[in-house]
Amino acid sequence: MSEAASEDDRKKNRVHFDRHTPEYRHQFEEITHELHAKCPIAWTDTYDGHWVASGNREVFELARSAEFLSNDHDVNGERRGYKGITIPSPPRAAEVQGGFLEMDPPEQRHYRQTLNPYLSPAAVSRWIPLVDEVVRACLDEKIEEGRIDFVDDLANIVPAVLTLAMMGIPLKDWTVYNEPAHASVYTPPNSPDMARVTELGRNMGLALYTAVQEIREKPRPGLIDALVNAEINGKTPPDLELLGVLALLIGGGFDTTTALTAHALEWLGQNPGERDRLSSERESLLDSATEEFLRFFAPAPGDGRTISADCEIAGQRFEEGERLWLSWAMANRDPSVFAEPDRVDLERRGNRHSSFGLGIHRCIGSNVARTVFKRMVTAVLDRMPDYRCDPDGTVHYETIGVIQGMRHLPATFTPGKRLGPSLDETLEILQKACDEQRLAEPVTVRTARAQIAR
Amino acid sequence: MKVRVDPERCQGHTLCWMTAPKAFQLDDIDGHSSAVSEDVPADQEEDVREAAHSCPERAIEIF
Repeated sequence: MSEAASEDDRKKNRVHFDRHTPEYRHQFEEITHELHAKCPIAWTDTYDGHWVASGNREVFELARSAEFLSNDHDVNGERRGYKGITIPSPPRAAEVQGGFLEMDPPEQRHYRQTLNPYLSPAAVSRWIPLVDEVVRACLDEKIEEGRIDFVDDLANIVPAVLTLAMMGIPLKDWTVYNEPAHASVYTPPNSPDMARVTELGRNMGLALYTAVQEIREKPRPGLIDALVNAEINGKTPPDLELLGVLALLIGGGFDTTTALTAHALEWLGQNPGERDRLSSERESLLDSATEEFLRFFAPAPGDGRTISADCEIAGQRFEEGERLWLSWAMANRDPSVFAEPDRVDLERRGNRHSSFGLGIHRCIGSNVARTVFKRMVTAVLDRMPDYRCDPDGTVHYETIGVIQGMRHLPATFTPGKRLGPSLDETLEILQKACDEQRLAEPVTVRTARAQIAR
Repeated sequence: MKVRVDPERCQGHTLCWMTAPKAFQLDDIDGHSSAVSEDVPADQEEDVREAAHSCPERAIEIF
């Protein structure tokens, strides 16, 4: 067989796949069914050509083949020039390495080992009293009014405050990070607002850099302290690399949990019977419901990879240097693994979804995400049990190529009573608790739960 | 029935522990799972089977 013919044979399953179009969001289920039925691994010519894996078995086998797949984003052209996990790659001027998600072992492993003692289930559960206070204050701000935007007034705030607390950044600074963390995801590159969003992003980078310098000079516990003292593959990482890691923690900690919470609250609002059942049977249902919302709404719908050596995986031959999109969201809808995959079943069993990724890059914040999500949703069920979302004011991200998110989810409910101080005052109280109890220490240093006096 | 978590495959998704909290324990530092005991008590067998089925990395071996 000639080389061209062999190439054609290798890429015989061809599709037009563009996940950055609104059509992909609107026709997600149809496109997913078609790919599963015809070509669970396909070649598409979009974005300089790349593979798309949508089948559950295919995504599973590929994601776990770390020896043939690279996450590396070689920004300075020092290695093989790989482009990291974003397809298409950002314009050259805007290229920065996306922390350890755009690294391979051993550096990637060293970073995770540095951060794990802050993010393990045991480490995260220590924060629950603080999370509950932030949730309480957010709901208090709106409880008398009978009107809330679940995105702006709750799901944006709680993940942001907790992420900053864990990093060792002042809680009141959440507003500096909040808008750029979300807007950089939902603003299309050609939007007239892009210049402003870029500027906000620059301010956020500057604030992060200032925090790094401050913590170097006057150490305080948290993820930043761990990173500035880390030895990665025998070296102290350069500042630019650290900033990439911090931006990854912000990006991972903010927008994704917001997206999951907003979609779950929207769905529960549309299915009030299921909402009441989840509330009254939460002891047995909350875990499985959370996993089901993760499977169904997959906030981070996929990741890019580069093939790092010629190989054959899941029956497909790949060549070194080719790009690959692993679709967690589509793998989660594979009928060979999930019965009635397009239905939300709060009791679903054997729900081995891939919404936190698979293999060595499993979302390092997964325990944070689950905890914060559960505390927010159950507090809403307790305090605003009859909420009704307003479909006219609901704004989903226009595209789901990067994050399947929401910008607004307004709702009304029967007003209730405040239970404690305002959000600003609460953040001051919580800041004191963070400082005095050194809450952001790793679980290896501090095992006790946060004590929050009110 | 016996159960084992392959430490090379486990990535700390924690689904097994949520499904069968008596049968699996999570490391405090990295959250990776191990079996509390290789021998599964009869009253935990169903949960352990479900946990194995739920593992995204298919790291749980029942034998």
